[in-house]
Amino acid sequence: MSIRECALKSAAFSRLKDVYDNREQEIKKARAAGTKVIAELGCDVPDELLLAGGLMPVRVYADPDKELVQTNKYLEFSFDPIVRAQFEKIVDGTYKELVDALVVSNSTDVIIRIYLYLREMHRVEPEKPIPEVEFIDWLFTRNLLYQQRNEFLIGLFQETVERWAGRKISDEEIREAARVCNADKAALRKIGELRHGSEVHINGSEALVIIGSAFFMDRKEHTKLVEEVAKEAASWPVINAPRVFFTGSNQESTDLYDKIEASGVVIVGDDHDWGDRFYDRDFNLEYTTRRAIVDCYMLREFSSKKAYTSQRVEALNREVAATAADGVIFYMNEYEEAASWDYPPQKKSLESQGKKTLCLAKMKWPMSKNDDFGDKLSAFADTMKGGA
Amino acid sequence: MAEEAKRPESQSGAVKRLKATATASAYQKEWFQKTKERVEAGEPFGYLNADVPMEVLRAMDIPFVVNQWWAAICGAKRMTKKYFGLLRDAGYRDDLCSYCATAFAESLDPDDRKLDEEGKPMGPWGGLPDPTIAITRLTCDCQGKIFEQFAKNHGSALYTMENTVARKVPLKWFDKVIWNDWEEFYDKDRIDEAVEELQQMIRFLEQETGKMFDMNSLEKVMNLINEQELYYNKTRDLIASCHPVPVTVVDTINAVMQAQWQRGTEWGRDHAKSLYEEVKALADAGVAAVPNEKYRLMWLGRGIWHDFSFYQSFEEKYGAVFMWSMYLAMGADAYIRYHVEEDPLRALAARYIGMEDFLHMPPWNSQWYLQQIEQNDIDGVVYMIPGNCMQAVEGSYFIKKAIEDAGVPVLIFEADPVDPRKWSAENMRGFVNEFIETKVIPNKENKK
Ligand code: SF4
Repeated sequence: MSIRECALKSAAFSRLKDVYDNREQEIKKARAAGTKVIAELGCDVPDELLLAGGLMPVRVYADPDKELVQTNKYLEFSFDPIVRAQFEKIVDGTYKELVDALVVSNSTDVIIRIYLYLREMHRVEPEKPIPEVEFIDWLFTRNLLYQQRNEFLIGLFQETVERWAGRKISDEEIREAARVCNADKAALRKIGELRHGSEVHINGSEALVIIGSAFFMDRKEHTKLVEEVAKEAASWPVINAPRVFFTGSNQESTDLYDKIEASGVVIVGDDHDWGDRFYDRDFNLEYTTRRAIVDCYMLREFSSKKAYTSQRVEALNREVAATAADGVIFYMNEYEEAASWDYPPQKKSLESQGKKTLCLAKMKWPMSKNDDFGDKLSAFADTMKGGA
Repeated sequence: MAEEAKRPESQSGAVKRLKATATASAYQKEWFQKTKERVEAGEPFGYLNADVPMEVLRAMDIPFVVNQWWAAICGAKRMTKKYFGLLRDAGYRDDLCSYCATAFAESLDPDDRKLDEEGKPMGPWGGLPDPTIAITRLTCDCQGKIFEQFAKNHGSALYTMENTVARKVPLKWFDKVIWNDWEEFYDKDRIDEAVEELQQMIRFLEQETGKMFDMNSLEKVMNLINEQELYYNKTRDLIASCHPVPVTVVDTINAVMQAQWQRGTEWGRDHAKSLYEEVKALADAGVAAVPNEKYRLMWLGRGIWHDFSFYQSFEEKYGAVFMWSMYLAMGADAYIRYHVEEDPLRALAARYIGMEDFLHMPPWNSQWYLQQIEQNDIDGVVYMIPGNCMQAVEGSYFIKKAIEDAGVPVLIFEADPVDPRKWSAENMRGFVNEFIETKVIPNKENKK
């Protein structure tokens, strides 16, 4: 039986997949039950604060089939295509219907621009169906000055969350929410182990579902389901395929991973915000709440958007070693350029360690818009098999 | 026309008419050679991105070159094709961040400081000496990566500074109130943070160079800058009030940009003064840059360094004059900060944190352009968006809408300010010709 078949036989996985495939269903239920829902654009919005306020955090995601009527009007073409599609749903009323407010974290320069544009739209076109927008101006350079500023900014954000919640939020409530988030991350780490431990029992596609469903459902329920999947998956068959690490653009769906894994490799780890990076670092319960939030989000593994090239070279080396990957696929969407500056030194460093690499740059989004790159994947898989 | 024939022609094909432009060009070359001599003699040398508060290095007498200025020099020397080939050969993409990556690409050139068979330097002006220090601000996702690799290739120490986003966005920053009341204008915590950032930068420079920072020197530098920029303010106001204008952007962009990088020196101040006096003399004598001036055009975006003659292509046929660019106008409106004596570092912080906002954040950019359109009697706006720079994505929809709502037509196109490979002179001129014929002329006729 294939891993996919095993997974789909699992009630816990099926529930996660249902949430992953039908991302609005839990949001609608929560709102019907009187819970306020807050959309997040960017991966650095502290869920702990929102959960502490009794709010439900959900990730903004793109609809590949939606025509970009509003986006083409407001955004220049040099915006990352996924963000362009996300923007469409923010300004066409989709999210106004669905959520109570939107938080934008400056996880990448593109998203900062989106915030500035949304703020300006509120000013000059107040009739547009755009939710209230809040911004978190994180500074990611690792330096005490910026750490302290981040703590100040998180304090401001907490005030906004308290306004949305209609009450003050205590430190104990934040800690309690942090325990929930930490438990979820711990459960996801068990999945990670099954994905990149000495035996591989979960492939990249299934991992995306398991991780990504967290963005659209109650976090405690998510944790419970992930724990169950982890228990069951330990007895799923071992995947004997070349181990590949995926670095690059966010993958909001499993389409690309399905295609890559169909070529005969298994994705044992990744570094984007819809994958392993989500559970990279815990909230340290021994710290003051603001410091713990800043520590958790500022000191996660370096993202391709907010790090120097040398940091990204080291980060990728670390991740490839930790997942015991034999090869790396670099996948960069067109107009999502920052990682392209890291690529040549990363490739050089990996190849010096005998790792194989494949680079797919300037890719169109959604994936189906590209000329078929199946041949490149197959050739890479063949090399991997030859080298495995 | 006889007068035209005497005008000096630059490498980029444009005809320049001001002494101040020629003086600035000559000075920068001479200054660069002197800088090289200082570096060769063992002095520290900084390489800075344009948005770095260079005033600190000026006050510490650390010679430096500005990335965008140097990219413009490389562009004017037609080096970019070679450099992007070097990027490609080293495995980098050759279609990204051309403006900021020119010097990094140059750092891959083994011939940069060599002489050719005829004994001529192969790199621009003999190539860039190895900086001891490279500093940039993290105003986009790529800047830190490019600077880090540039620094590595040159063996320079890297220093980076963050960028914060304004929460408080009072409209009309260009009202002179900002010169005096900047404490009211910005979020206080942003200025506080920027002051601390400057202090850290000073400590870094002191440690790297062995030179000690002197607050009195900074105060002097800041005051010189205020004087320099006040001349730009007067020059801009003067040009705006002249019909026809005595000079065009071809004259002012180079004269101002080159001297801006020398801001905080007596030469910079004196040059700005001489520019003003020269323009005033032309205005007083009733000299017209384009005697048949009919339409006044605004240029939004970075300068087309490799094809300055573009700006002059519409003068004879239509009497259409590019008379406004941000280079002079930013000098006029964005730099001056009074009360320097109270706290020079805080005054500097209140200058540098806003530069990104003024240019790239709606509504500050759109509102300023509107005010400038009014002051300069602009009939049409040509707006170039660089296709490969996320930082320069600045809300073109809002800018276009604000300007068109005010009854002024706008032409937007994508191009690259440095890379001639992405510039079709014929197409671009064709777009503007069509814009003038179908939008600018009828719009002005309708207003009569
Ligand atoms: S995105 Fe723009 S500002 Fe940033 S490095 Fe590239 S060209 Fe420069």
